Amino acid sequence: MSRTIKVAVIAPGFVVLALLFLNWLNYRVAGLLSPHGLAWLSTLFFHLLLFVMLTATVLTVAERKWSAFTQDRIGPERARLPLLSNHSLGGLPHVAADALKMLTKEDTRPKAAERDRVLFMLGPILAFAPVYALAAVIPFGPAVRLASGYTVAPQVANPNFGILFVFAIASLAVYGTSLAGWASNSKFALLGGVRASSQMISYEVALGLSLVGLMIAFNTVQLPALIGAASASSGQAQYLWSTTLFGMDVGIPAWGIVLQPAGFLLFFAAAFAETKRAPFDLPEGESEIIGYFLEYSGMKFGTFMISEFVEVVVLSALITAIFLGGWHFGFIGDRAFAAGWGTSHPVLYGVVCATVFALKTIILCWLQLMIRWTFPRFRYDQIMTLGWKILLPLGLLNVFLSGALILLDPSLQWLGVVGLLEIAVLLGLTLTAGRKPARGPSASTTPDAHALSTAAAHH
Amino acid sequence: MAYYPATQDPTTDVRERSYVPELLRGLAVTTRHFFKNLLFPRDANPDVLNRKGNSHITTVSYPEEKVTYPPGYRGLHRLVPREDGKPRCVACYMCATICPAQCIYIEAGEYVSEDPSPESRVIEKYPTRFVIDELRCIVCGLCVDACPKDAIRMDTGRHTPSEYSRSGFVWDIPRLLQGPAVSHPSDPWHKRSGSERPAHPHPERHARIGDGLVQLKLPHGHPHGVRTEVTAGPIPVTKFLRD
Repeated sequence: MSRTIKVAVIAPGFVVLALLFLNWLNYRVAGLLSPHGLAWLSTLFFHLLLFVMLTATVLTVAERKWSAFTQDRIGPERARLPLLSNHSLGGLPHVAADALKMLTKEDTRPKAAERDRVLFMLGPILAFAPVYALAAVIPFGPAVRLASGYTVAPQVANPNFGILFVFAIASLAVYGTSLAGWASNSKFALLGGVRASSQMISYEVALGLSLVGLMIAFNTVQLPALIGAASASSGQAQYLWSTTLFGMDVGIPAWGIVLQPAGFLLFFAAAFAETKRAPFDLPEGESEIIGYFLEYSGMKFGTFMISEFVEVVVLSALITAIFLGGWHFGFIGDRAFAAGWGTSHPVLYGVVCATVFALKTIILCWLQLMIRWTFPRFRYDQIMTLGWKILLPLGLLNVFLSGALILLDPSLQWLGVVGLLEIAVLLGLTLTAGRKPARGPSASTTPDAHALSTAAAHH
Repeated sequence: MAYYPATQDPTTDVRERSYVPELLRGLAVTTRHFFKNLLFPRDANPDVLNRKGNSHITTVSYPEEKVTYPPGYRGLHRLVPREDGKPRCVACYMCATICPAQCIYIEAGEYVSEDPSPESRVIEKYPTRFVIDELRCIVCGLCVDACPKDAIRMDTGRHTPSEYSRSGFVWDIPRLLQGPAVSHPSDPWHKRSGSERPAHPHPERHARIGDGLVQLKLPHGHPHGVRTEVTAGPIPVTKFLRD
């Protein structure tokens, strides 16, 4: 069996099957618990505890394996399972090895931190808890009306203030890192903590502003309403322009990334800064200061580490819900699917949609890891410049522009046109960059005019 | 992929200034490497530069795959055996003397002249202990150059294997004596018996200094003598000084 088939077909197939099974179990168990009003307990177990935590755990190894592939290395493969010692299983046994190591390592505590023992212990807890709590408002699949008459939605809580909850809780995560930096009673940890707090507070602003455009567009802050329902053609499930081909609906959906590409880039950058991962890993800065978790060992350090990966998963799920149309396919067949299976086999519809959501989330996790292994770290003043002088004005501009366009055209089509134009400009600039320079004096004297005209030709 | 900057002047080009297109291009490079290395099998050829296939991976999984050393590689020592399996070494201490790391220790044994074995006619000594501390060795190869009998070589093509203790790195004759035997026509043990003092029209050619066969040409024995200037007393220093 060739590696290509293993990697490209069997492993993803296994992941898809596992996700389908997990979502099916979730809908069934939630259906059983609904009469007692405890359907959220099922989502808590299957999505928060299994999907989010397992993905985050696997990401710890995936980060090393995938970084190895981008850097032409093999990556971890030496940990083996007892009866499968001939197979590296993609390095997955390293998850168990790492967990064992973290849990059995000596838990040292710096003597100087004894005075702040409570704060020292609180550090990892406060770093992990808010990040994990974010997952509570994420809708992992569509609300489905079961045969028993109960409506089941794979979401732990659906408060009226959906996205605002995200902003509120995400900003609490700064306490964990700054407390860890302070209570460690170490210069380097304190530096890391201070860096973390200033960076995270700076990017909160851009994080919030980047979503205002979408809140205006869809007139809601609830995540399920933002994703919308294909049957009702609401939220991101509606089409900006659509037609019907062979009984299937085809069109350009009103996804957040189409309406608000600038907002997407801003949110992505700000969210990256919130996760404190490269290129925004100044608080950790492993080559200069070890960062706010310098004095932590064993599973306390592991908690910081895993909270970083949980944040990656949760932010991917958030971006999926807000910008990538949630559980909808998008460009083809959403309405036909909702009208078909959506009415005849509601549970299967829900399972497939929830799996689409999970796959989009996983792909975004991959993208975050690729970015982390591509970009060099910013200098500290560059971080602050990016946050305050670039992202903040751009976010404000985006809010005003989006507001004006929505005021002019409530059907969002103008917003879509401007959004597609922004994407085209970005693509044009990217594709014209890095071309082999044309020989001759004319090209070398006016390279900018040439580049801009080429970029303009693309849209 | 060759890298072409968007322009020669990064201060004016919007693609360089906005940073995003260049970021996306960088992402494209890493993504291409990622998928090639993920999807295609790795060629395990230890000759990394000649690896075939689409995978870019250059790793050599060491204990299973080993890079072969180049032909001239100075590796682990060996004591070269003779045809009969004994070391060629005659315990002359040249290698131990020249070794800058002082990692060679030799104890010599002497052939008794009454010994009926054929070597005793031609070789005086042999090593009873020949020890190299491989941790101290700096692999300079001077011992190989110094050896008059071609008895120590560094042609194993291996490096010193790892050990669990320091004492494991002290190699003695049983471990050092390895590899193919080497034999030269000029080796003393190849001389025919009775050829220690060959019948020769000019026996002084084979004589040694102390034998009395050769008259040493010493300066004072010369008929005319060597003219030497004899000065009485110390040389006056003022001779070399200017006033």
